Amino acid sequence: MKLKPIGLLIAGACLIAACATIKVESSTGTEQPLATEAVLASTPEADKCLACHTDKQRLIDTAKPVEIAEAESKGIG
Amino acid sequence: MAPLEPWEKVLVDAGKFLPTDHGQIACMECHGGVQASEKEAAHVGLIVSPSSEPEKYCGGECHSEQVATYPFALHSTQQGYWTALEARGGSHPALNEMFGNHCATCHTTCGECHVSQPKNVGGGLFTGHVFETTPPMTRSCTACHGSRVGNEFLGKNEGIPGDVHFREARMNCVKCHEGEDMHGTATDAMTAEVNRFAGTESPKCVDCHEEAAPNGDDNPMHQVHGDTLSCQVCHSVTYTSCDGCHVAVSETSGNPFFETDATYQTFLIGRNPIQSEERPYAFVPVRHTPVTTDAYEYYGENLLPNFNAVPTWVYSTPHNIQKNTAQNISCETCHNGDASIFLTADKVKPEEMEANLSVIVESLPPMLTLEQTLNAPGTPASHLEHISNSCTACHTEGIRNAPISPEDHMAYKDRNCSGCHKLQK
Repeated sequence: MKLKPIGLLIAGACLIAACATIKVESSTGTEQPLATEAVLASTPEADKCLACHTDKQRLIDTAKPVEIAEAESKGIG
Repeated sequence: MAPLEPWEKVLVDAGKFLPTDHGQIACMECHGGVQASEKEAAHVGLIVSPSSEPEKYCGGECHSEQVATYPFALHSTQQGYWTALEARGGSHPALNEMFGNHCATCHTTCGECHVSQPKNVGGGLFTGHVFETTPPMTRSCTACHGSRVGNEFLGKNEGIPGDVHFREARMNCVKCHEGEDMHGTATDAMTAEVNRFAGTESPKCVDCHEEAAPNGDDNPMHQVHGDTLSCQVCHSVTYTSCDGCHVAVSETSGNPFFETDATYQTFLIGRNPIQSEERPYAFVPVRHTPVTTDAYEYYGENLLPNFNAVPTWVYSTPHNIQKNTAQNISCETCHNGDASIFLTADKVKPEEMEANLSVIVESLPPMLTLEQTLNAPGTPASHLEHISNSCTACHTEGIRNAPISPEDHMAYKDRNCSGCHKLQK
C-alpha cells in the first residue's frame, strides 16, 4: 500500500508519453500519412491503373477490336 | 486451349492479387506508364512485359538466384534450336532472319510462366495477375509443348493412353521438371547447355524409381537391360513424329507461317546418337523431326549445307510412360527377328540415310533359344519341363497378366512372377 502514490505517478507518466505519440507532426507541420493510408493508395479507387484494370466493363469498352487473322500455318508446329 | 477475350487477358483480380507480395508494388514500378484516366494517355511509356528485363525487374533482393542463371537457360536462349541449326547450316544471315520470324516466338520470359500465358499462344493473365509459383500446366507448359509432349502426357492422341504419371497420380510437369531445370544452372554462356539432352540427365526416372536401376530389383528385364536401354524403350508407347516442315512469310498478310507435310504415330527403337556417360544407353526411342534439306528455302538456297551432320531421327523421351507395354510383355517381342519396332534402314528416306547412320539399327536382337529362355533369370524353376521357347505360348496376354495365375494369387499386387518365384540358378 505504501507504493501506491509511486505507482500512480508511473502510470500518469506512461499515459502522457502514450498521448504524445498519437500525433506526430513533421517539420512543416503537416501530418505524416499513417501506414494504412499507404495501403489505401493502391486500391482501385486511388490508382488509375487498377481502377481500369479491375473494371471488366471498362476493359470491354476500351479493348481494341480483335482482328481474327486466317490461320496460314498447316500441320503441327 | 481456347483463346481469351481481350479484356480477360488484362483483367486484374484485386481481391486475389493485391494481398500478395507482388500486389504491394505499385503498378508503375514495373509497368511504367502514366497515371491518367484515358487509356491512350495512361499507356504512354507502358512496359507490357517487365520480365523481358529480368535483371531490372525481377532480381535484386527477391529473385537474384533465378535471375543469375535464367538468361543462360534454354527457355531463354533457345540454344537447342541454334545448336541443331548451326550444325546443319553454319552461320548465315538468312538463318538469323528465319529464326527471328519463326523460332524466336518460343523465347520465354519469367512472366510467361508465372503470370500469364505465353505470348506465343496469345498471352493473357492466369489468375488476375497473381504470380503463380508453379506454372499452371495446360496454360503454361503444354500451351507451348503441346503438339507432342502435351498430347502424349495428357492422352490426347486417340487410342493411346496418357502417361501413367498423369493418369494415375495426376502429376503435373513440375513434379519432375523442377525449378532448377527451368531456370538453368549456368551463369555464363560458356557453360550454358547446348540442348536439353546435354549434361546431367535430369529428371531421371530412377531418381524416384530407385528399384528400377540396374541391380536394383529382381525384375529380369531391369537386370539384363537396365544399362543398355533407356527406360522409355520398354515403358513408352506410340508417339508423334513429323515430316517436311517448310517456313515462309505470307504474301497476303505478311505473317510468318509454316507447313508440315505429315504427322504420324511411331514407336521405333534406334541406336543412341548421343551416347555418353550420362546417357549410356545403346538403344533409345527415336522421333522424326520435321527438318528437310529445303526447309528454309524461302530465305535462300542451300541454307543447310551440312544437313547430314545431325540425325533426323533423334533421341527421344516420349511422355506417355506405361508400366506394361506391348514391347515389355515378353522377351520375344524384341528377340524374335521382327524388325517392326526398330529403326532399320528400310524405314529411313533415302535422302536422309547418311544423316541417320548413327541411329539406324543394323542388326536385330538375337533370337532366343529354348536353353536361353529356360535359363533366363526370370524363368521360374517350376517351368523347367515346359517345351516352348515363347512365354506367350501359354501366357497369352503376357507374363505380367499371366492368365494361368492360380486363384489364390489374386490379391497379389506385383504381377511380376519372379518377385516371389525365386530365380532359377
